Amino acid sequence: MNLEFRANAARNTASPVTALLPALVALLRRSWRTILQLATDSPEPHPAWYWPDYLRALAITGLTTAIAFPLSPYFGLVNIVMLYLLVTTIGALRLGRGPSAVLATTNMLAFDFFFVPPLYSFDVEDTKYLFTLGVMLVVALIITNLMVGIRRHREIADAREQRTAVLYAMSRELAVATDAQAMAAAAVRHICAVFHSTAVVLIADARGSLSPMSPDESVGKEAQSPLPAFDLELAQQVVARGERCINDAIYLPLQGSRRVKGVIVVRPQPLAGALPAEQLNLLDAFAAQLALSLQRARLAEAAEAAKISAERALLRNTLLASISHDLRTPLSAIAGAGSLIAQPEYALNADRRTTLGHLIERKARDMSQLLTNVLELMQMEFGSGTLRTDWHAIDDLVALALRTNEARLAQWRTLVNLPTDLPLILVEATLIVQILSNLLENAAKYTPPGTTITVSAAVREKNILLVVADDGPGLPTGDPERLFEKFQRGRSESNIVGVGLGLAICRAAARLHGGDIHAMDNAGGGARFEITLPMERNAPNDLPDGA
Amino acid sequence: MTEAMHLVLIFEDDQAIQNVLRMLFEANGFRVVIADTAARGENDARLHRPDIVVVDLGLPDRDGLNVITAIRAWSPVPIIVLTARTAEAQRLAAFENGADDYVMKPFSAPELLARVRAIVRRHVRGELPMGVLELGDVSIDLGRRVARRRDGREVRLTPLEHRILETLARHGDRIVTHAALIKEVWGPHRNDSRALRVYIGSLRRKLEVDPSRPQHILTELGVGYRLVIDTGAEAGG
Repeated sequence: MNLEFRANAARNTASPVTALLPALVALLRRSWRTILQLATDSPEPHPAWYWPDYLRALAITGLTTAIAFPLSPYFGLVNIVMLYLLVTTIGALRLGRGPSAVLATTNMLAFDFFFVPPLYSFDVEDTKYLFTLGVMLVVALIITNLMVGIRRHREIADAREQRTAVLYAMSRELAVATDAQAMAAAAVRHICAVFHSTAVVLIADARGSLSPMSPDESVGKEAQSPLPAFDLELAQQVVARGERCINDAIYLPLQGSRRVKGVIVVRPQPLAGALPAEQLNLLDAFAAQLALSLQRARLAEAAEAAKISAERALLRNTLLASISHDLRTPLSAIAGAGSLIAQPEYALNADRRTTLGHLIERKARDMSQLLTNVLELMQMEFGSGTLRTDWHAIDDLVALALRTNEARLAQWRTLVNLPTDLPLILVEATLIVQILSNLLENAAKYTPPGTTITVSAAVREKNILLVVADDGPGLPTGDPERLFEKFQRGRSESNIVGVGLGLAICRAAARLHGGDIHAMDNAGGGARFEITLPMERNAPNDLPDGA
Repeated sequence: MTEAMHLVLIFEDDQAIQNVLRMLFEANGFRVVIADTAARGENDARLHRPDIVVVDLGLPDRDGLNVITAIRAWSPVPIIVLTARTAEAQRLAAFENGADDYVMKPFSAPELLARVRAIVRRHVRGELPMGVLELGDVSIDLGRRVARRRDGREVRLTPLEHRILETLARHGDRIVTHAALIKEVWGPHRNDSRALRVYIGSLRRKLEVDPSRPQHILTELGVGYRLVIDTGAEAGG
């Protein structure tokens, strides 16, 4: 095989080796095409034709040749080929697909020009070198292709991981947000950070009209990006169609399960240019996440509202039922007693008339008490919840409660045990007197006459502790907390009037003051009710005398 | 009894309560005039010159508070207000408009009668002279600012405590509102009830037999304080 051979005439020969050439050329061409194609639409950070990398490829070839050339006498052509392949592989690790392909080709050409005889010519003297060159190029291109592929996969994996991370960061914040406002604020914050843009969330109301979510007050002003300008009409169209729309800003629908909940408008920084497709997908994922959270918030709100309204309905119904029962009972006693007195032919003696008169008065007072309780509870449950507080001395309030119940407690022993250095408390006096009064009244209802009832108070850390305790039969069995539910009665005697509202009022009143009330067994037997009321600081104990 | 001559004018629109009040006062030697509207009542007041006026704040034609103001404009006749227990703000407003006392509805007949009697007696007798004040165990010489127990031990009162006691005593058994008390004791520019509460507490500890159950210096919730001087006559209320 000593044929004089020129590379560009290869297809004209009939030798067995040259018969392989068309296939080789076809392979080369296909590889080149794929390489070019991949290079042009590669999602790499650099644009497709990034000249510095191509220049770098040429420089690498030049440098390699410069190193290899003086070594060639000692090295042998096989090792030079290996050197070029090594450089191609390393280059492919760093350069993009296009520059790597160029590097593979220029390496092959440089090898041909500088090392394959005849030297300094692209001509090939021996056919076997043609084969060497071909294999060298193909191997280089395949390696390039593999390396670039690996790199591309790694980059995709990185991007995906980053995308997952930012989505996760946002969804974590959305999960702890409790209302739509906080959710929108979190989403805007994340979108602004990830996409280097400004954003605003527009929430659609029940009729579909959009309004921007006001920025979160809890975030400092300086932390907020300014609201981007947006086209409300365009946003409305996005809501109507449920599709995203891009002009100078990106309008993404927040798709709920049944309707579009709103629109998020993202305006990239002026110099950043349009977002690439992958970023748009990520933005879509953000929008979907926000939509899901908003839906959750709305459902939670609806469930809460339903629960409250059900509770109120239940309260109303029980209240009506109990009131009508508890008002009718004393009313029939009053009506009966009155009709007895009113009949002259019954000729009741003075004693009996007096008894009936007392009965009427007592029953009427029970009813009045019940009404007061109901009204106060209504006020606390449905009212504005604001207290008319003033500074009060605890002994004053205790004395008032005792005075109110003086007649009722005539047959009970009452002890008052108050330290003289108790601070003043900032409370609504009527409510605290009501609490104490209800507890005293309860003690009179549920303990036999002669029982000792002790009212005491103490300072406990930052609270005032008020205690009403007795040495009677103690609390009924069961959870003491149940006593504070509305319409609970410790025992089921039906002749005790009061609908079991008393303790519910105590709890409502104590909680309105930021305190609470609990029932427990007294250490020495009997029942014990402990009210805690938060103590205000700076309450004067002893003022210097003088105006 | 001179009390038989006393005329009580009652502003009340409910027939049943009118009957009860009429029976109560007539059975106890008062003459009774009942007005069922504010307009009629004010007319009656000018016509009959009552010794005491009882006003139910819930009148059909006008707010009972206006009635108090209107009467106060021309007459110092004592006015007792009938008020619901829950209407604390209204009660205070009644005092600011010039009411002398209040009785909570639903009222007890003996209590209302006792209040009316006390107030009429005091009105007839005039304001208390600045003399010696007897509060149970302790007698206080308001002029010389000395307080002694019956056994001769001195009770030391600070100047401010004296001034509070003096102010309460000057109003006899009538309620003194917080604002009025603070204004008279501390001057017009103080509006802090805290000091007042503290001093009232310390006065009670010095003067009351059982400070946790005061018999003389009584708190009227949301309104003010009342000094009960003649305990024997009023304890039954």
